Amino acid sequence: MEKVSSLSELGFAHDIHHALFRPIQQAAPPSPTNRQTKISVIGAGNVGMAIAQTILTHNLADELALVDAKPDMLRGEMLDLQHAAAFLPHTKIVASPDYSVTANSDLCIITAGARQLPGETRLNLLQRNLALFKHIVPPVAKYSPGTLLVVVSNPVDVLTYIAWKLSGFPPNRVIGSGTNLDSSRFRFLLADHLEVNAQDVQAYMVGEHGDSSVALWSSISVGGVPILSQLTDEKALIEQGVLEKIRKAVVESAYEVIRLKGYTSWAIGYSVASLARSLLRDQRRVHPISLLAKGFYGIPDDCEVYLSLPAQLGRSGVLGVASIQLTEEETARLRRSAHTLWELQQQLEL
Amino acid sequence: MKKVSSLSQLGLNSDIHHALFRPIQEAAPPSPTKRRTKVSVVGTGNVGMAIAQTILTQNLVDDLALVDAKPDMLRGEMLDLQHAAAFLPHTRILASPDYSITAGSDICIITAGARQIPGETRLNLLHRNVALFKQIVPPVARHSPGALLLVVSNPVDVLTYIAWKLSGFPANRVIGSGTNLDSSRFRFLLADHLEVNAQDVQAYMVGEHGDSSVALWSSISVGGLPILSQLKGDEAAKEQEVLEKIRRAVVDSAYEVIRLKGYTSWAIGYSVASLARSLLRDQHRIHPVSLLAKGFYGIPDDREVFLSLPAQLGRGGVLGVANMQLTEEEAKRLRRSADTLWSLQYELELELV
Repeated sequence: MEKVSSLSELGFAHDIHHALFRPIQQAAPPSPTNRQTKISVIGAGNVGMAIAQTILTHNLADELALVDAKPDMLRGEMLDLQHAAAFLPHTKIVASPDYSVTANSDLCIITAGARQLPGETRLNLLQRNLALFKHIVPPVAKYSPGTLLVVVSNPVDVLTYIAWKLSGFPPNRVIGSGTNLDSSRFRFLLADHLEVNAQDVQAYMVGEHGDSSVALWSSISVGGVPILSQLTDEKALIEQGVLEKIRKAVVESAYEVIRLKGYTSWAIGYSVASLARSLLRDQRRVHPISLLAKGFYGIPDDCEVYLSLPAQLGRSGVLGVASIQLTEEETARLRRSAHTLWELQQQLEL
Repeated sequence: MKKVSSLSQLGLNSDIHHALFRPIQEAAPPSPTKRRTKVSVVGTGNVGMAIAQTILTQNLVDDLALVDAKPDMLRGEMLDLQHAAAFLPHTRILASPDYSITAGSDICIITAGARQIPGETRLNLLHRNVALFKQIVPPVARHSPGALLLVVSNPVDVLTYIAWKLSGFPANRVIGSGTNLDSSRFRFLLADHLEVNAQDVQAYMVGEHGDSSVALWSSISVGGLPILSQLKGDEAAKEQEVLEKIRRAVVDSAYEVIRLKGYTSWAIGYSVASLARSLLRDQHRIHPVSLLAKGFYGIPDDREVFLSLPAQLGRGGVLGVANMQLTEEEAKRLRRSADTLWSLQYELELELV
């Protein structure tokens, strides 16, 4: 079906394509299994657009769909991306406030979410976001029943749990961006100190994405070499709280950016694009992301919480959770994180 | 000189690097000719940051310096980029309200500029921007005397002229983003209509970046095929109308984005990163950019105006202006563009003395 382009509305001849190109004889249409890779981003604010633009630059999708409740802003963002056509590989960019535009996505990324009002309790913020997710998740799941779901909106762990419940999807297909970015910030600080490339530093923050996150000090390595003993006189520093200070510095670096520029965008954009690549290109890479953590690291089987653990990601989502050696202290903190999240979830009217 | 990292301030061992890595024997320091590629972006608003982030993602530089008058916002943007370290090739990101941070740049990109207040005349807006450029351009030029200067702030043609005058640089080293993006929008509309990839469409908009831009219809080709004969309608008069409508649609598409989302950012980000790549990597590619146009296409030798023409770009800046066959009408429109810009500059001339 010949679509109407804006130029034909201005008077350009229709059906000009066949004057320019002629198909070879006996050509067949593309096989129905030759699908295009499609990514949908829900929420075209600073975070959503940074993610969308990075995905575009990295050429991860054939089709990119944007959804937002504000139709003018949404259309403006779509046009702004389309105008870069001469500088990018050919990607179809579509946008609509209607979720039907997300149909047949391979990956749906949810960034929409209410922001915390000054003085608002965390529970109240969660109640508001639960109401919002009830609008978002069911149509997304309906239009793309086989999609992978990545939740970015905060508080990400509980919202990913909520998205999982509302979608009806198996849990390996629903993840949250979790501590993927915290770990990057952690690796940046360490790499800067050690004068190495951050990609040579392996260091995970796990657990809750937030104040009770857990830094896995025992598993830091540089170029594959475990270095904790060289970094510190471990016992002395734990006593002096140095390691805890560093963990807090990572947690606060997000707040610092928000305080200085009003929000964060670029880093989360790269972080989520990195997850998108590992998932869609079946990279089998390990990322710390928010997933259904019950049964791992001593978290009880009946404790259905989402929190971040290092997991192998591929085309079908979470392929498996890494078995890392944790210290007693680290395991205890992780269980405490799980407990905090569990309590919070109990108070929600799902 | 060992710098103090934020972690050493929190209590981690300093000087740990040599415990992790040992140099081979008789190693020599890097040759002084081995320089790091550095780009500075002046102005970290929506446009500046979209440009900075795209340059970073495309791995075009070793050092990226950001300058802005608002120190908090600037620091926030710098941190936000640094936090992506695990996902990016190693690039040093620096930021300061002080221009010394730009020292030794290969390219300085200027995006800072006053926005037009409703009801303000173009001349008044220009006066305000001249004042701003007097603060920006001299220190930038002083700290990087060999740099290429790339102006993005609007109205870009006159501001590039001003930047050229204030910098004292040779004209081949000062360019404006000009109609590089307009041409991309033009190619997008054509490609969408013709169902081809925009990169297979060659189509230039030249002249003023703005209302009097000139669409070079005679030079449109698709996959190397000149297609105007196929695009022409049956009636000559109707054809003129249609072509003008399309040109206006390209000019208006910028205003449309501004009306809808408040500003444009992504497209100009990709556009300028594309220019940066052609310059830094000496690509010898042709881009329509704002340059010193006197002597080309019938523009008099004494008319020192900057406007967009298709030019070959490389490490030395503008290597040359493409020799295209323009129609009478196109050449006339180009000269009209030049006249408009010349009158505007003439009124500003006194300001620059």
